[in-house]
Amino acid sequence: MNPGVYATVERWIPERSRVLDLGTGDGAFLARLAKTRQVIGEGVEKDPALVTRCVERGLVVHQGDIADGLDQHANGAFDFVLLLGTFQELVQPAEILQEAFRVGRQIILSYSNFAHYWVRLQLLFHGRTPVTRSLPTPWYRTRNLHFLSVADFEVFCGETGIRQTRRAFFNGHQPVRFLPNLRAETALSLLDSTRPPAAAPRKFEGGLDPEI
Amino acid sequence: MAAEHSSILRGDLQDQQTASYQSPLGVTGTQTVTLQEFATESGYKFDTVDVSYQTLGKLSPGRDNAILVCHGLSGNAHVAGMDPKTGRPGWWDYHVGPGKALDTDKFFIIGTNTLGGCSGTTGPASLNPHTGRPYGMDFPPVTVRDMARLQARLVDHLGIQKLFAVAGASMGGMQALAWVTDLPERVQVCLSIATCTAHNAMQIAFNEIGRQAILADPCWNQGNYTEAAYPAHGLAVARMVGHVTYLSQLAMARKFGRRRQPEAAEPRQFSVESYLRHQGSSFVKRFDPNSYIYLTRAIDEFDLFEKAAPEEVLRRVRAHFLVISFSSDWLYPAEQSRDLVRLLKRAGLAATYINLESEYGHDSFLIENEPFANLVRPFLNREYEARAKTAAAPALAEHHP
Repeated sequence: MNPGVYATVERWIPERSRVLDLGTGDGAFLARLAKTRQVIGEGVEKDPALVTRCVERGLVVHQGDIADGLDQHANGAFDFVLLLGTFQELVQPAEILQEAFRVGRQIILSYSNFAHYWVRLQLLFHGRTPVTRSLPTPWYRTRNLHFLSVADFEVFCGETGIRQTRRAFFNGHQPVRFLPNLRAETALSLLDSTRPPAAAPRKFEGGLDPEI
Repeated sequence: MAAEHSSILRGDLQDQQTASYQSPLGVTGTQTVTLQEFATESGYKFDTVDVSYQTLGKLSPGRDNAILVCHGLSGNAHVAGMDPKTGRPGWWDYHVGPGKALDTDKFFIIGTNTLGGCSGTTGPASLNPHTGRPYGMDFPPVTVRDMARLQARLVDHLGIQKLFAVAGASMGGMQALAWVTDLPERVQVCLSIATCTAHNAMQIAFNEIGRQAILADPCWNQGNYTEAAYPAHGLAVARMVGHVTYLSQLAMARKFGRRRQPEAAEPRQFSVESYLRHQGSSFVKRFDPNSYIYLTRAIDEFDLFEKAAPEEVLRRVRAHFLVISFSSDWLYPAEQSRDLVRLLKRAGLAATYINLESEYGHDSFLIENEPFANLVRPFLNREYEARAKTAAAPALAEHHP
């Protein structure tokens, strides 16, 4: 995934937060958060070989799918629940987010923007399912179940009553500051279950995150 | 014939032909200590109790590197290295030794035969000092908690206040859970392998079949059997049933299929029949029938949360957990380990869980099993290193959500 995504998540998480990383892989990023932010973390990972890598890093890790990983925990056990690169693989994303808000106060998730101009052009000119830097696998091998755009996610949040308190968009190594639905390859969102909704609804396109 | 009887599992070092097996630990033995006065949960008071044990590796100057290994139903104190008496390797030699999952270069390993057992620790086959005859069925009922408390007495005897870890699979896993809940201040890490917090109906049922096989043997004689009239057949049948529950359908199909046993005394004997009879008869040579009844009863009775709710039982627990189940273990299925993990996590305890892929059923922890070793070794090493660091800077004591 885009290294900017990880750097941004690292900035968004205060020191000594309790973090549940869903789809933690080999635990490299969680171990980095433990080192740089002194987070108290736990990973959830399906692949036993990757779970072993997490153990080698000294992480607490649970082998299971995302729903199982959430179900293990008491209400409010974490400050942050991370869904980095795994959000699009969820069969029932709305239900999982609801469960994640039971376990954690805030959620940070990332997804690939399906309305990026390169995706649009591939579909328009080749008439084929796009393969891009942020959607690198062909349709028959991808683990993604859902293909969504920045605009779609805004609507999704509106309809499900989820509040986004921070957003960041990326294109290669660069942050994207305007027209994210057209120009961003990857989107990152911080969702909060506790704060009141923002005073004025934000426009999705060009909606600037004060952080970037 | 020998080939058919050789291990189905490339393991189970207790029952197999192991002539070619070499332990990196060389010859190791067990010792026995006689402890004074021990009372069981049921209220029975022993004046003295013998405890058979083995230690491997070196106790650190700070006495902080001890790992207690609790054995399963048929195990003993001889965890690893070659037994000088039988010439066989210890039951966990694959995973205990220099550089192995439980590394004897780093840790001080304690193996001990459990109370009620029949391999050196006081059990139903031991002489009752009041009668001069074996206890037999006069032996008091033992519980998994009794086993853990007696192990704690051995740990006292060895001059160790706090264990770094307690490790156990199956019945041993129950003992490990009894340790962390009953003696929470004395253990820092718990390795719970292929076990559960309470037997379900099916687990009790298989044990009951084994017990009934022994009780139905005419030689059992209310537990007062002699060498001349010994319930060997009953115990062998109990072992056969038990052994099948420790395997998997796939492993048995691969090993035996529907093949017949060549040169069998009976015509058309299946290989699997011959194998089970061999398992049964070799078990009879090393296990006491009454002990089988007492130990299976103890694990059937075990219920970690019988007397109090999980949050109450786990309130004082401080240990970090590694919980392992095996995908093909249908006797202690993954759900039981997962249920334990959920209760631990919901009590705010740090627990790492993995359901390891394995074709070999419940006994997967006994066999050469690289993924298992590759998980346990770094877990123990990292936990130990982390504690050494925290001990140097106690201000940064860890707190898990």
